Amino acid sequence: MNTILRDKTFKGWLGDNYTSVMPVVMIILIIGVFQIINPFFLKYQGLISLLYSMSYFLIAACGLTFVVMMGSFDFSVISVMKFSALFCVVYIDKFGLWVVPLALVLSMGVGLINGLIFTKLKVPSFLATLGISIVIDGIALYMSKGFLLMMENETFRSLSVTFIAGLPSIFYWAIGIVILCTLISVITPFGRRIYAIGGNASASAHSGINVGRTRVYVFMLSSLLAGMAGVLYMAQMGGGSVAIGADMLIPLFASVVAGGTTLSGGIGGPHRTLLGVVIITWMQTGLLMLGIGKDIQVVIFGFIAILMSIMTTDRKKLKIVK
Amino acid sequence: MKNGAIKQTLSSIWKMLKDFPVVLILIVFFAAFSVLFPDRFLSQMNFSSMMRQFVTLMLFAVGPSMVMTMGSLDLTYVGIWMLGGALVWFLSPVLGLAAILVVPLLGLVTGLMVGVIQARAKIPSFILTLSIMFTYWGLTALISGGYPRTVKGFEFITAKLIDGIPTPLLFAIPILAAAIYLIKGTRFGTYLYSLGSNEEGAHLAGINVNKFKVLAFTVSGLFTGIGSMILFQHMGGSVAVEMNLNTMNWPLVAIILGGTPLMGGSGGPQRTILGALTLTILVRGLNVAMLKPEAIQLLVGLMLIASILVGSRSANKGGVEVS
Repeated sequence: MNTILRDKTFKGWLGDNYTSVMPVVMIILIIGVFQIINPFFLKYQGLISLLYSMSYFLIAACGLTFVVMMGSFDFSVISVMKFSALFCVVYIDKFGLWVVPLALVLSMGVGLINGLIFTKLKVPSFLATLGISIVIDGIALYMSKGFLLMMENETFRSLSVTFIAGLPSIFYWAIGIVILCTLISVITPFGRRIYAIGGNASASAHSGINVGRTRVYVFMLSSLLAGMAGVLYMAQMGGGSVAIGADMLIPLFASVVAGGTTLSGGIGGPHRTLLGVVIITWMQTGLLMLGIGKDIQVVIFGFIAILMSIMTTDRKKLKIVK
Repeated sequence: MKNGAIKQTLSSIWKMLKDFPVVLILIVFFAAFSVLFPDRFLSQMNFSSMMRQFVTLMLFAVGPSMVMTMGSLDLTYVGIWMLGGALVWFLSPVLGLAAILVVPLLGLVTGLMVGVIQARAKIPSFILTLSIMFTYWGLTALISGGYPRTVKGFEFITAKLIDGIPTPLLFAIPILAAAIYLIKGTRFGTYLYSLGSNEEGAHLAGINVNKFKVLAFTVSGLFTGIGSMILFQHMGGSVAVEMNLNTMNWPLVAIILGGTPLMGGSGGPQRTILGALTLTILVRGLNVAMLKPEAIQLLVGLMLIASILVGSRSANKGGVEVS
């Protein structure tokens, strides 16, 4: 008679799965509301601007998702993105298209440093990455000298703005990355290890997972994706200054938690972040179409970030949170 | 006999340096810049701007360094300062000079809110306070309409009292003294240390952990609010609408450089004084050396990493339980 008691009612099912249901409900709400207010929202032109605004964002958010899934935090995503974007525009004349792999390798190097400081020296991840991000910001400022730089190489720009079947190529990159990341997190042993570490780091260490090495790999992956987002951002926008991404940190974080990846770690994944990014960036674009400025958006996303982290955190697991 | 006395003095100096390595850095920086740029670094003007910078760092860092002793992080200070300024501008036509009192009130409310959410909902404090800081920035831009609004009438805060010493420094002294008394001389401070060194132990010993967490964030917010009242005039007397991440980072560097460990358990405002002094000397020295701003930013970042590395040496090296 030891059957597992399951609440079969709809309310019980909702209580178990609300972190997955809520994002979908929110997306439907957002699309509905903006479509009613502004009929151009889902027309072709509106859709293209929606895809443009979400694609590079999605790539960066996927990287951050892996780190949050592991129960850590990566502050340097924005800085690395800015760095790789500016690296491309500054050195495109010198290296030609080789600038893309170089930017990616350098970004990955930043991730390696982050990971090593975090794991070898036992520094809390947000502080280690905060320190690194100040340094990277300094380097980015040094490279660009504070000027607005324009990208004139058409081959480079075609990375993002070529239209295939009516949609910009940056969208295919982003979708490809999401599928790849989801596969990594779901079917590879590496992905299972990330979930395990997020669930309980010491238990995974005792069961034979090399926690330190996995953590370093995850930070490298996060920085690599941030660097890739930077390259594609530069190809899409065709220019930028050190101000790139200045107000992106909170929307980025909000989109990861709004998708249902919990700050306590172990739950979530890139497929959830896809929903979160759709919520945040479509809302951003919709509000901009209505003429609602960046100030209110920052306030709204700040609230979403706090609210969603409160709602998704699994408090039974956690005893001590600093 | 004499030999022994010398040995004892040396060992006590060694012990002090081991506990406060920042003193050595402070002396080295000061000596180096004095030798390299004797006329510019040791000038009257440089000293007064050093004091001005020190006040800025210290008033921002005093509250958060109290929170840091229990191992949490409070980054709301920039937000409280910005939104406080905007509220002063917004309310001064109605309330007159009393509008400035909105700032400590805002600090108190923010601290209480952060404390309750952090203790109840168990969200990492750094991410919570960071989100609140950015939200406040948005509210600031919303209220002020995006323009740096100037507010007249509060010049008395920075009016000259004693030659050569900026008046905000005089205001800062009682604030610092109160903060150091709270940490060092009261039960509240002792409990914060115990929360920082072992929260579970503190809980088992019968301390109401949540109550003291809320209290710590509230006190920190109040101190930031009181400090921001002075900083509002000290930093130009107008609403700041541009988010400058250096304003957020430098007080943090001062706290960590001062030697308050990241996991809490010791340190506090009294150590942050040393850290703020060191950072001030470094930044002013680099300014005097006419380095470019990006180079200064780079060096401050490296300084933060170095101090994080030094500060984390006391952390638990055995397990994997670090997030």
